[in-house]
Amino acid sequence: MARVLLIEDDGETASEIMAELVDRGFAVDWAATGIDGLDKARSGGADAMIVDRLLPGMDGLTIIEALRHEHVRTPVLVLSALGAIDDRVRGLRMGGDDYLTKPFAIVELIARVEALLRRPAESRETILRVGPLQLDLLGRTATRGNRAIDLLPREFRLLEYMVRRKDQLLTRAMLFEEVWNYKFVPQSNLVDVHMGRLRRKVDRPDEPPMIHNVRGEGFILRAPA
Amino acid sequence: MRLPEFTRTTTFRWALVVSGAFALCILLMFGFVFWRAAAYMTDRVDRGITEEANLVVADPPERRLDAIEDRLRQDPRRVKLEGLFGPDGRRIAGNLESPPRGLVADAAPQSVSAVRVDALGRERQTARAVARRMPTGNLLVVARNVDEVSEIAGIVTDALVLGLIPALALGLAAGAFLSRRAQTRIDEVNRKVRRIVAGDLRERLPTMGIDDPFDRLAASVNGMLDEIEALVQSIAGVGDDIAHDLRTPLTRVRVGLERARQNAHTLDDLRAAVDQAIVGLDQSLALVTALLRIAEIEQSRRLAGFSEVALADVVREVGDLYEPIAEDKRIAFKVATDTNTTVRGDRDLLFEAIANLVDNAVKFTPQGGRIELAVVGSGSESVVRVGDSGPGISAAEHDLVLRRFYRSDKSRGSPGLGLGLCLVTAIVKLHGFQLTIRPGPGFVAEIACQRAYA
Repeated sequence: MARVLLIEDDGETASEIMAELVDRGFAVDWAATGIDGLDKARSGGADAMIVDRLLPGMDGLTIIEALRHEHVRTPVLVLSALGAIDDRVRGLRMGGDDYLTKPFAIVELIARVEALLRRPAESRETILRVGPLQLDLLGRTATRGNRAIDLLPREFRLLEYMVRRKDQLLTRAMLFEEVWNYKFVPQSNLVDVHMGRLRRKVDRPDEPPMIHNVRGEGFILRAPA
Repeated sequence: MRLPEFTRTTTFRWALVVSGAFALCILLMFGFVFWRAAAYMTDRVDRGITEEANLVVADPPERRLDAIEDRLRQDPRRVKLEGLFGPDGRRIAGNLESPPRGLVADAAPQSVSAVRVDALGRERQTARAVARRMPTGNLLVVARNVDEVSEIAGIVTDALVLGLIPALALGLAAGAFLSRRAQTRIDEVNRKVRRIVAGDLRERLPTMGIDDPFDRLAASVNGMLDEIEALVQSIAGVGDDIAHDLRTPLTRVRVGLERARQNAHTLDDLRAAVDQAIVGLDQSLALVTALLRIAEIEQSRRLAGFSEVALADVVREVGDLYEPIAEDKRIAFKVATDTNTTVRGDRDLLFEAIANLVDNAVKFTPQGGRIELAVVGSGSESVVRVGDSGPGISAAEHDLVLRRFYRSDKSRGSPGLGLGLCLVTAIVKLHGFQLTIRPGPGFVAEIACQRAYA
């Protein structure tokens, strides 16, 4: 069971997040202050941390900086009510691994915590495989079984990201941030349109689907059963 | 005693200092003139009396007395003084009562006080005199009245008084006038500024319509006030708009939840109502987020994050991002990048601005329409142009669409916050570029970017 340390001063927000995490099968530790949080983080045991940016008497980033200084590498998701353009960049530079702006949908939070826990290890593999799907990173080609899939560069990037995070829920915001590297929320259903294209190429009508749309939440790539 | 207000101004103090210096210069000049004139006259008199004394000494003794009397007779101005005195000091001839006191015989001429006696009586005069001791032991004194010199001194002093006092008075008057004038304007400006501080933003500083520094200063302050007034007004307007645009979805959420609580019979009914409520809340939150973001960009003064951005690359990426969605709508989407110019800016923000324009174009262009996204270089600037074959907007709406929350009547039916163009404006302004809405057909927006120079 994965252990998550939550450092959040607002009791109500904390209890909602904890309830959801417990429902999803995580063990949760809660610290309401920065000092307490830092102690709990130092004692180890957490597989991932959720740290609020604004804590009474302490900046959440200070905690992360202190931990990184002590070579504690636990992945951290930073929560912030500050939506500043560079705030996210700063949060990531200070050692945060992901950044989520309040208010957020709870599924977004869970998806990001899962992603932190299952971060793909840096591998030297040049061929990635999920079931019958195979990506050649050097040749930039994709095949499903014996069928070659003709992909545009942007579609290859998207598929590569999904293959590296197979079986994980990927929200639209995550895809937009990670694949397109943009920090703003587009007004149109851009991600859906791009995903629709990719899906038609990866999943032919006669094949069992691999890309699944989780209604209202995001997308998952899975090997066919 | 309290001096009047204007005497305490810098202008007046300077006038005082300058007048003082002026008076001192005049005094020195007149003093010099007097000194030179007096020296010249004294010198002439000295030479005259020395020569005369020499003549008398050279005369044969028997003619000496007559010669003295003759010369004294030929002196209508009564300036000549001469006297021949015996060794015992007794007067033998001339009009001097006695040898002047302190006069040294056979020396250079010197100033003395002498007493003149003649038919008109006895008179003490200031004179230059020279004395000669004769071989007989008699003492010859030749002198000349120099009251003229003090008369000249009098004239000079009079001239000084007549010239200097009016000049000084004039200087001080000019100082007082200038000082009072400046004081009046400053008082007026102070009054106006106090009214502006008190909240009357329509007040402006007075200008005289002449090109003096004071007017120029007032003009720039007025320009600043124009900007502040416009900002304050736009903030006030935005406040109203925010209240309205937030209330609408929140009211819908509230009503929906209330009705569901009373009327829902199944869990599914309740779920549907909650889903509706979440959509409404998300809409309100998106609005707040967008507003904060615009405010943040507008207030951002840190240009340190700017770097060289290749415009064509950004435009190609936007094209890449929006091409599928345009294709789905069967809109012909043409991307033209024939220049490879760079500008100084924030890459992400420029991307967002261009993406917003394209987003709008895709939203408002009907099926089968056409969108053109192009970057063209002309001279020192590059222009990013987004044009579509949609309904466009009327000329009257050109300025309005750049405002927060303005939504053209034609766009009422489609989703959106009415903040997209406002965000574009904020980003463009941050970069010092210009956003122009061109007359149609369709909607054409241009961002004119100044090229980066190394």
